[in-house]
Formats: sequence, C-alpha cells, structure tokens
Amino acid sequence: MYILENTMLKKIITGLGLATSILLLSGCVADKEELKGTAVDGGMKYETKNGMYTSYHVNTQETKDFKYGRTPTQREIRAWDIDVRPDGKGAPMYDMKHGEVVLDENGNKKIAEGSVEWGNELYDAQCAMCHGDFGTGGKGYPTLSGGDIESLTNQLQNPADEVPTEEPPRKTIGSYWPYASTLFWYIQDAMPFPHPKSLSNSETYAITAYLLMENGVTIDGEEMDEEFVMNREQFLKVKMPNENGFYPTVDTPENPKQGVANITKFLGDPSNYGTGTRCMKDCIKGEIPLLRIKNEMNNFTPPASTVRDLPKVEVEAGSVQPGQVAYENSCSACHGNAAIGAPVVGDKEAWEEVMSKGLDKVYHNGINGINGMPPKGGNMDLSDSEMKVIIDYMINSSK
Amino acid sequence: MDKISKLSKNIEVASTETTKTSRRDFFKKTAAISAVAATSVLSPIKLKADDTAIINEVEWGVKLGDMVTKNPYGVPSPYEHNNVRRNDPLLSSGDSYATVSMCPLHESEGIITPNGLFFTRDHGGTAHVDPKEFRLMIHGKVKKEIVLTLDQLKRYPSVTRTHFIECPANGSTDWRAPQYNNLQFLKGMMSSAEWTGVLLKTILDDLGLEDDAVWMLAEGSDNAGNPRTIPVEKALDDAMLVWGQNGEALRAEQGYPLRLLVPGWEGNLNTKWLKRLEFSDKPWHTKEETSKYTMLQKSGKAIRYFWINEVNSVITSPCPEKPWTDLKKGDLVEVEGLAWSGQGTIKHVDISLDGGDNWVEASLKGLVLPKSWTRFSYIMRWDGKPLLLSSRAVDDLGSVQPTIDEETSKQGVESIYHRNGIVTWEVTSKGEVNNVHIRKHNA
Repeated sequence: MYILENTMLKKIITGLGLATSILLLSGCVADKEELKGTAVDGGMKYETKNGMYTSYHVNTQETKDFKYGRTPTQREIRAWDIDVRPDGKGAPMYDMKHGEVVLDENGNKKIAEGSVEWGNELYDAQCAMCHGDFGTGGKGYPTLSGGDIESLTNQLQNPADEVPTEEPPRKTIGSYWPYASTLFWYIQDAMPFPHPKSLSNSETYAITAYLLMENGVTIDGEEMDEEFVMNREQFLKVKMPNENGFYPTVDTPENPKQGVANITKFLGDPSNYGTGTRCMKDCIKGEIPLLRIKNEMNNFTPPASTVRDLPKVEVEAGSVQPGQVAYENSCSACHGNAAIGAPVVGDKEAWEEVMSKGLDKVYHNGINGINGMPPKGGNMDLSDSEMKVIIDYMINSSK
Repeated sequence: MDKISKLSKNIEVASTETTKTSRRDFFKKTAAISAVAATSVLSPIKLKADDTAIINEVEWGVKLGDMVTKNPYGVPSPYEHNNVRRNDPLLSSGDSYATVSMCPLHESEGIITPNGLFFTRDHGGTAHVDPKEFRLMIHGKVKKEIVLTLDQLKRYPSVTRTHFIECPANGSTDWRAPQYNNLQFLKGMMSSAEWTGVLLKTILDDLGLEDDAVWMLAEGSDNAGNPRTIPVEKALDDAMLVWGQNGEALRAEQGYPLRLLVPGWEGNLNTKWLKRLEFSDKPWHTKEETSKYTMLQKSGKAIRYFWINEVNSVITSPCPEKPWTDLKKGDLVEVEGLAWSGQGTIKHVDISLDGGDNWVEASLKGLVLPKSWTRFSYIMRWDGKPLLLSSRAVDDLGSVQPTIDEETSKQGVESIYHRNGIVTWEVTSKGEVNNVHIRKHNA
C-alpha cells in the first residue's frame, strides 16, 4: 500500500465539525451539504458588493442613456433575421433577396415553394458528393437518412455492459432531429458547405422536402411523392417522429420563463447527470479496475513532439501561388478530401490520369462539370479564366 | 464533434484487462507492462563535470543578437516550434474547415493561453471579418432596437475578466475507453484568456428589454453562423461582448472582431464573428442545438440545453508528453494541474496516487477566480515505484468531479458531450506516463 503524505487531510479533519468527522471515518468528506446555486444554470451567482465582483474591482458609476448607433431599418432586419423556429416563425412565404421579396416576370411576389422531384435534382447536383446518394452518407460527412428511433437506446461497446451493443445509435434527420425547422435552417444558412447561402428559399424548400421524403417523414399521415410541393403552409404541418425525444421541457408558451426554470432545476442537481462523492480513504472496494489503451489514436498533424531543437525547414513566408487562394476557398472542400472521390490535389497518380485526357478537356470538365462535380464546382461567380488559373494550380501541385 | 460516436465504431474497445491480484501486488503488476510511447519526448540532458555549456563561450554570447527592429510583432523562440496546436483528421469529416485544433496543454503555463495556441473550433473555416463592414444588430423584444459599428460598440465602458472556454466535446474520445495517450488530445479542446469587452447587461439595461424577453439568439456572420439560444438571465448575469483577448484584438480564430463570452458555458455558445442578438419569448431550437449539441442517454432520450461545463480537473505535469523519465528514485517533484468549473469557483482539488482508492488534498496556487482555470500543486518525493495519479476537483457550489463509473452509470457512453470523469495517469517505474481508465469493464 502506498503511504500518502496526509498533512492536508489532517488539516481537513481538525477543521471540520463533529458530524462531518463521523462521515470522514466512513471515508467521506461531507463537503456537499446543500447545493447553493442561484444562477440560471443552477450554479453560483456572484453579486457585486462594495465595488467588488468576486476578486475583481468594478466601476459602479451610472451607465445610462448611451447615444451610440441607430435604429435598424425594417429591410435590414429582414435581410438578417432569416432564422426559422419550430413554431413556424421565419418559415418564408416568398423568395427573398437582400431583404426584399423577389418578384416574378409578371411583377408578382414569387411564392417560395419546391417539389420533392426538384429537391432530388438539386440534392444530386449539390449535396450527394458529400452526403452520399439518398443521404446515406459514406463520404465522411453526416449521414442524413436511414436512422431509426429504436436504435437510440443502443450503447455501442459500453465497457461496463455484460453484453455490449454492437450497433451504435443511428441519429439522422428522421430518427433524431426534433423539428423540421432545423433542416430548413441548416440548408438555408450553411449549405452547400463550400458556398453557403447560395440557395433560394424555393430551392431550400425543395431540398427539405426531398430529405424529409427520404427519411419517411409524413405530412398529415401521407407519404410525400415526387410531385409533392413544399411551401410554408405544408412546412408548418410537418411533425418529426422524435419531437418528444428531448428533455427538459423548454417550450412553455403559457409561461415563457417556466422553460428556463425547468433547465435551471435540471442542471442544478448534478445527480441528474452524474456527480462524485468526496471520499478520501479506501474508496474502491475490491480490485482496481484498470483499463489501458488498446488501440491508440496517434495520427496527429503535426506529429507529437516536445523536442526543443531548431525547425528543420524554414518555411518561406508569403509564397502564395496564383490560384491557390481561390482553390482553398472554393475547391479544397472536395479536392482536398479523399472521401469525396474527386481527384485529390497532390495525388500524382490521380492527376496523371486526369491529364491523360489533355489539358483542354480538363479545363472543359472543370468549367462544365463532370461526374459528381457541378459546373465550376458550384462556384458560378468564378469566370472561365479564373477557373483555368485554379486548375493550373491544382495540376502543378500534383506533379 | 458528432463524428466521435461514429469514429469509435471502428475502434476496437480497449484492453479489458482487470487486475485480479490483491491490492498489495497491484503496483508490481502494473510495472511489468510496457508503456505506449507516441510522443517524441525531449531526452534528459546529462550534467557532466566541466560542462562545455559552462566552460566554453556560448555562441549567442559572443556575437550581436537580432536587431530590435527584426520582428515588429514578436514570435516565440524558434526552439519552441513544437509547442503548437495539433489536429487529428479522424476528428473531422476529412476537411480542415469544420473541425478542431487542440491546445498544447502539456506546455501551458499558468492560467492564460497565448493567443496563437488557443484551441480553434470552426464550423466552416476561420472567417476574416473586415472591421469597417462589421455591424452588430440587437433587435426583437428590446424597447430600443439598435445597429452599431465596431468603434461605437467599443465606446461602451469595458471590463476585463479571465475565463476559460471549453468545447463540450472535450475528452469525448474517452467515453468507451482510453484512446489518446497524450494530454493535448485528451483535454486540449479548451483554453483560457483574459477577455476585454462590455458586459451585455450594460447595453441591455440601457436599451431596455420587454417583459417577456426570456431568450436571446446569438448569431455569427461567418458561413456557418452557429446560432445558439441563450436565456436572458445569463445575458444579464456575466455574459460579455468581447473584442480584446490577452491585451490585443481577438484573433480571427476566436471571432475577430467580436465574440460573445458566456462564462463557464459550452464553447459553441460563445458565438464568434458575432453579428446579431435577437430577443424573444420562445427558444429557437437552432440547427446546432437540436442536431448536434444534445446528449443521448441510455433511455434513448437526449438532454438539451446542457449549458454548463461541469467541474473538472487534469494533472498537466506529469502527463504522457511530460513524463518523469528524467527523475531518480527519491527525487522531490511537483505534481501540477488545472482545475475548472463552469458553475462556480474551484474550492478543493484532491490527488490520488493509487487510482482513486485514497486521496489527499492538494494546494491551490495563484489566482482563484470564478469560471476560470485554477492551478493546483502537490509536492511529493517519488520512490521510483509505479503510480496511478488522479485528480478530483470540487467547486464552491459543492459539485464533486465524478469517477468514470459515477458518470457513465448515469449517462451511458453515447452522450458525446460533457465528459468530466476523473483522469488517471499511470506512471511506470521508468517514469513513463500513460492515459488509463479506472472503471468497471467486462472481458
């Protein structure tokens, strides 16, 4: 048995009252009586007292009636306030651009709507290269379909389980996400990954409809077919299968503050999610259950090292080649990632094969698209000559 | 970091060896097993008599150094080139945009991370915001809606506070078994800085909130935006809009020119490249707080809005990258580490040398601030025998860092986020250090 230098422990014992000393004898320091958090997260809330906030001095002068800034215009708010809430706030009625409604050729407001069939086309052209056909994944990026709610109780290889589950929970749009607003918001705001905010509200409704269809989500109990057209009215009817799969309850419209209070109560009691006990002596009954690393993860960049020597190669600063910046901004998400299937820049063999078609054909394919790659990789703001500079850079970097 | 659960599918669960021997034999048994060494560790320098480093003139002592004009912005010594952030392609989808770089905690000193080493978590790459085109909009259920330029915002009275920021996925690769044999990847999804900005309360008190303004949406101007919902109560407590990081402007990786600081809460709530705050009576259930930052439990239900980084600690010296291979039997040595709590201030840290069977209280040292890294220290004489070194933090709320079993018995192993179970380092008789788990497991 290893002997601990127990000076600090002695200090604790002499510093505590009788009741806690008895607990100490049984091996526990009862440091924890009643949790005393009054902050919104159930934790400690510190007040400013005598000009001090904990250890910080605080300026307690009056700070009222600043005159900075101005009121935003309604158009400015419309341009930025494009979030979509589960209750339908923000689910757009029309196509919008720069904070104004888009008008069709007859001058009428353009209704935002899109069919499953159109969504399928858009998905195949702009999403499948990362998320796989039908959202089935396999390219490294999130799998979007094929989950099931029953699998959410799986605990993959929990070491403490008698019979560890061999399957992980399969969390996808249909099996996990509580609200369809998440899907619309994600696509509209952050997708396609290399050039987000490039899809219209109509296109976003179309892709949303397609992905909901692939996930078997029904509307009014009806499955969606190819002709189904998604718009604000239909979107508000979508109810996701796992809507009730989350806690605490935070949507309390009759009393908005109740939802916050529910979280405060949950977080304020660590026994809800696992807390320790301040045992000091003989805490482990029986053998020490030691688990070592079996398969080490050590594929780091740069390699792990604490050696203090001079770096071997002095990297020359400022040597950016033509096309490199545009490549990194617009192309590397696919061409820098072997999982996508596009020829990876730096892969000599792959690019030799590409070049065997001749340079003109390579330019042509880059500009007009090939296989999973949309024209210009979806970066329609690049001119043909800019594309050629980028392609030259990619070729030169792969020799 | 939702990829971690998927990733672990391909990783065979770690060694399921249990020590069947009596406790008396326990350390003998651990000593017999050779260590894993993935880090190139600096080999100890032997001090010989008539040391040439002393009796000869050193090269830099007999010539002029660099001119003071050489680096208008200073850089670390070239010898420190291995003190860098690192990333693991396995933690991303294969690209280097929506991923994380790990802070080198093993080289970290004190309670401040240098700006160039602060861990980086981006959802779509690091944005470079032109400060001339920066605008902040505050709207919704406020009595006075407002747009501000950066210079106008920086006219508000400033405060400066020290807080850590931690990604809730920090340590998540260890839910099932130890997988990284280093501190940098085990706990490096966090860093700490002295932040300067304006308390959100100062602005909101002046603008005036509607009575039913209960929730706040914070959104960035980058390609991912990473919108998150935060209760107004937190905004009025200690949240800040920060533009300063350790005495200079925020780094681009930290949201230049403005980020939200939500002390103690999940890193992703500290919205970078901030552009918009909206107030409402309803939560938004944003794209990330539904699809990503939720914790699936054994029941098949998931916890949402788990804001806090729970009480936590780790020994930073020794650690796998900073072993005791240079020590001799009988050397006096300092065990040092970091403790932190997102719900309060660190009150105690306990140290165990036998994997958590017996504990002794360590000393806290330096500044002990709320929702901040706190250094602890325990000085001991090492007898050259193997150890299982663990640390356990307690905060002023009374929360105690759980053992791995105390945490997983409640949560299972599919939570992904908010893993704060006790970390144990195995120190071998040679002084090598390995990441191990003290937990129940089956063969």
